[in-house]
Amino acid sequence: MTTSVHLLEQFCLAASRAGAKTVRSICPATAADYIVRHAGGAIMLPDFPSARRLDLAALLQAHGGKVQSGDLLRTSCPAEAGITGANFALADTGTVVIESTAQEVRLASTLPERHFVLLHPAKILPDHMAAVPLLRQLHRRRSPDFIAFITGPSRTADIERVLTIGAHGPRELHILLLEELSDDFLEC
Amino acid sequence: MSRRTRRYRQRIYEALDDIRRQNALHRFGDAYLAARNEAFSGLDFDELRREIAVMKDTVREDWQTHVDTFIRQAEKSGAAIFVAEDGQAANQYITRLAQRHGARLAVKSKSMAGEEIELNPALEAVGMRVVETDLGEWIVQLAGQRPSHMVMPAIHLFRDQVAELFGKVTGAAESDDIAHLVEVARHTLRKEFLEADMGITGANLAVVEDGSLALVTNEGNARLVATVPPVHVVLVGIDKLVPTLEDAARILKVLPRNATAQAASSYVTWIRGPAPAPNRQRELHIVLLDNGRSKLATSEQSRDAWRCLRCGACANVCPVYQAIGGHVFGHVYVGAIGVVLTAFLHGLEAAAELIQACIGCRACVEICPADIDLEHIILHLRRRLAEKEGTGKVKGVVFKRILRNRRLFHGMLRSAARMQKPLTDATGSIRHLPLFFSPLTEWRTLPAIAERPLRDLLAEEPCIFAPRLRIALFGGCAAEFVLPQIGLAMAQVCRHLNIELVYPETQSCCGIPALYAGDVETAAELARQNVKALTESEIDAVVTVCPTCTSALVRHFPELLADDPVMAERTAELAAVTQDAAAFLSKQLDNLPPLNHPAIPHTVTYHDSCHLRRGSGVFLEPRKLLKAAGWSLKEMNHPNRCCGFGGSYSVLGQPAIAKTIACDKLQDIMGTGAETVAADCPGCLMMLRGLLKKRQLPTEVAHSVELLAACLP
Ligand code: SF4
Ligand code: SF4
Repeated sequence: MTTSVHLLEQFCLAASRAGAKTVRSICPATAADYIVRHAGGAIMLPDFPSARRLDLAALLQAHGGKVQSGDLLRTSCPAEAGITGANFALADTGTVVIESTAQEVRLASTLPERHFVLLHPAKILPDHMAAVPLLRQLHRRRSPDFIAFITGPSRTADIERVLTIGAHGPRELHILLLEELSDDFLEC
Repeated sequence: MSRRTRRYRQRIYEALDDIRRQNALHRFGDAYLAARNEAFSGLDFDELRREIAVMKDTVREDWQTHVDTFIRQAEKSGAAIFVAEDGQAANQYITRLAQRHGARLAVKSKSMAGEEIELNPALEAVGMRVVETDLGEWIVQLAGQRPSHMVMPAIHLFRDQVAELFGKVTGAAESDDIAHLVEVARHTLRKEFLEADMGITGANLAVVEDGSLALVTNEGNARLVATVPPVHVVLVGIDKLVPTLEDAARILKVLPRNATAQAASSYVTWIRGPAPAPNRQRELHIVLLDNGRSKLATSEQSRDAWRCLRCGACANVCPVYQAIGGHVFGHVYVGAIGVVLTAFLHGLEAAAELIQACIGCRACVEICPADIDLEHIILHLRRRLAEKEGTGKVKGVVFKRILRNRRLFHGMLRSAARMQKPLTDATGSIRHLPLFFSPLTEWRTLPAIAERPLRDLLAEEPCIFAPRLRIALFGGCAAEFVLPQIGLAMAQVCRHLNIELVYPETQSCCGIPALYAGDVETAAELARQNVKALTESEIDAVVTVCPTCTSALVRHFPELLADDPVMAERTAELAAVTQDAAAFLSKQLDNLPPLNHPAIPHTVTYHDSCHLRRGSGVFLEPRKLLKAAGWSLKEMNHPNRCCGFGGSYSVLGQPAIAKTIACDKLQDIMGTGAETVAADCPGCLMMLRGLLKKRQLPTEVAHSVELLAACLP
């Protein structure tokens, strides 16, 4: 197995252990179809490079998706789903790393019931330590900045230690692996 | 229902609640350990924690430079920084900020520092509404309590109680289904997030190299608190500074594994500066809190506590925490680190009871990801407390509460046994003795709590039909929990003598530790419980395997209960039939079947325990036993000189003196060249075994009853 295939396997396994769903080897059209079928309602779509590259808004609409963008805090009807890209991912813990400085990205990954993450399969690093140089670059690149390391859906065990999914953040985390995305680690 | 009945019921409910909570904490401790070990599989925990300790120490030694650099970097990112010398300064800064922005509602995500400085009351005092958004914190806030655990604040509450609290908020009857309750919280708090004028969080890490902050949560509430409101305040202790992002990565590897047995928490949020929002200005204020930390940094004895990552693990595994929970075993911070920080932040006095309650089992030390020797610090605090308050005066409510409640006390020792085991090294070697009376840990090794206590082992012994006599065994803490094989040997000898041995279920500690600590009330309460337990059924004699217990039953109980009209008579009766095992058995030897003696007798030397010889006048009898068992007895010089253990009965004993005494004893033993040394007191046995083991001497140590049992047919 080549290193990148191995990392991909390891990532998918760890992500599913953490309660995320991974969808592999799909094309943009199937990805859009998958998202629309699973969204369960309106979809928050912030502006990020890979979304632009795929013309995701149009693709989603073509598959019948109801897309929200702009100042998402002011939208009247609450979205059921949110889409973001991912700068890169960590294989050992199944974590996706998302530069979320733009408010729409923060909201799309936080408020809705379901969060869909688009990840290029070649952008998987072994672990957090391997990601430190990139984290450093992201921090240096601009101020202020806000970077999210997300592992699985939101959860709590605060009542009788019973694990319950969906506390304040998304109940579902879907990670879609597509090659048609930006392969730049500093870009979503 | 009369008022009295109601009060009575109330008490029962409280007691039941306690049991429910204790069971929950025990179950949690067990499950936590298993899951945590799994989470660390393949990683070198010891190496990781040593690295973390070294790194944290570097920051501590030069914290001012680190603070200055952090401030410079964080300011570059657009954050405003305030260094708060104490809680009052921090509260003032935050309340003024809120007032400047006309803020009326603040949402908070969990911050132990916020609890520490009592930020909520300060904000409420200027008319703000403060809503905790971490589920556990919200529950505790609604209940009007404080967190009982650093990571799981509401671990002391149950689903039905939570349903009741939530019902008061929603005005509807809420079901106690947990998924439903989480949904209620999500729904109710979502509105608060969107309407809040100010968000307040803590931070798990503050990185010096670039002024960034890391927030770790599972629920995702910190992300909302940090994202939605126009003003974000981060309250973070100066002890949270780490030099580089690599250091941060190392901590993030260990923290979730040790705190919640997860490889990674759901959300690690990195923040540098105020994240922008369309059409409005956002502000980020970082309040760097000292509040005693810089003083802690230079404290010779306690400074290692600076390293704490607030993972909560030292509470998870602590038998005292499991027995009584964080509201009793802690202040703002709970568990072992709670003892240390309470003493440091709020004064020795405030921590006095907690210091007394620690039983020195070192489970917390084994589990700490920052390599803090918590037990050692607590031990030191105990000495300081003694210097300050004198030996007799220290009376802890916690101490009383545990010792007077047999179920609690025994539950605690049982969990100590469980908690030590998975943490012991591969050799399963000697661990520290978790009893109240062992401050002398540096110069002798002490045995672990036995895997199964005596009462469990005795339950498996076969019954006797038509016995000649019926006796009750009084075990005492040491024989019950540390050296149960002595009691088991006694049972075996009795079986061969056709004597039925019963072990009254409700017997407890004889109370000597309490009495020696000057706590007469607790000693009397224990006397009462034990007299009841031992006089409940018809027996011919009460036999002990610990002469200290004998002295309690025969001498102290009658004194303690002399004025108790109900108990005095029963106590006197009990005293009249109580005797030491050797005294009892020496009269029964003729009834024993022929014993198996070795062809060449081994040599044994006998140590007279203080309480046996001087307390009960028993010294010929054990020697008779040893000879009957086929041993050749070689007397040592000064056989009746104390081994040094007695000193440790007082919680605040004098280690140096005890140590000298013990060395003299060792010489006397070695002088005989005997292969085995026998004694009749579990305390002496532990002491002697520890001494010999520490010097790697091969001499065996045994109770004379054990030596007798060893040659039964
Ligand atoms: S030594 Fe044992 S009893 Fe004392 S604080 Fe640590 S875990 Fe608790
Ligand atoms: S003292 Fe150690 S075990 Fe306890 S909370 Fe701090 S880091 Fe965790």
